[in-house]
Amino acid sequence: MSLFGSGSASPAPKSGSDVKAGIVQQLQQESAMNNARLLIEKINENCFDACIPAPGSTMSSQESGCISSCMDKYIQLWNISSKTYISRLGQEHKRMA
Amino acid sequence: MDPQTQMDISNLSEADKKDLSQILQNESQKTTIQQSVHQLSDICFKKCIAGRPITSGALSRDEESCAENCVQRWMDTQTSIITKLQSMR
Repeated sequence: MSLFGSGSASPAPKSGSDVKAGIVQQLQQESAMNNARLLIEKINENCFDACIPAPGSTMSSQESGCISSCMDKYIQLWNISSKTYISRLGQEHKRMA
Repeated sequence: MDPQTQMDISNLSEADKKDLSQILQNESQKTTIQQSVHQLSDICFKKCIAGRPITSGALSRDEESCAENCVQRWMDTQTSIITKLQSMR
């Protein structure tokens, strides 16, 4: 990505399909970023709660170990929720049809 | 969105615009589902994992089934609320 405006030096008009592809790519990138940001936010909140009940002057090795385990657990739980939720949505969808 | 892209939107054909609007709709639906999954994971982590000391990085069998049940019962709850509200109209 260039610093000053768009990278293409020649301001030749882009074709419609190029523009479309660009918009879609940007959209998907932002969506993925947003998804990751939400996951980080939730992990931070829940694992801070679970692992650091009394914040000390430094993070102990026990605490950072707990954060690491907690993160692993959260991601596994996230995968289960995702799978369960989507399969349930599919079932409801079939039931309605 | 960078200004270059914005200006070029006028280059889109009608078919491209239609196509794009469909893609937007799909993405928006995907985002809604992703947000629900985040919300559910948050709720179910609090129900199933929080409150006990975390000793390992793997989910136990109990925690796994708790997570699954949590999502299913949350959706049951949603369904019953909607059903009851509909019957009250």
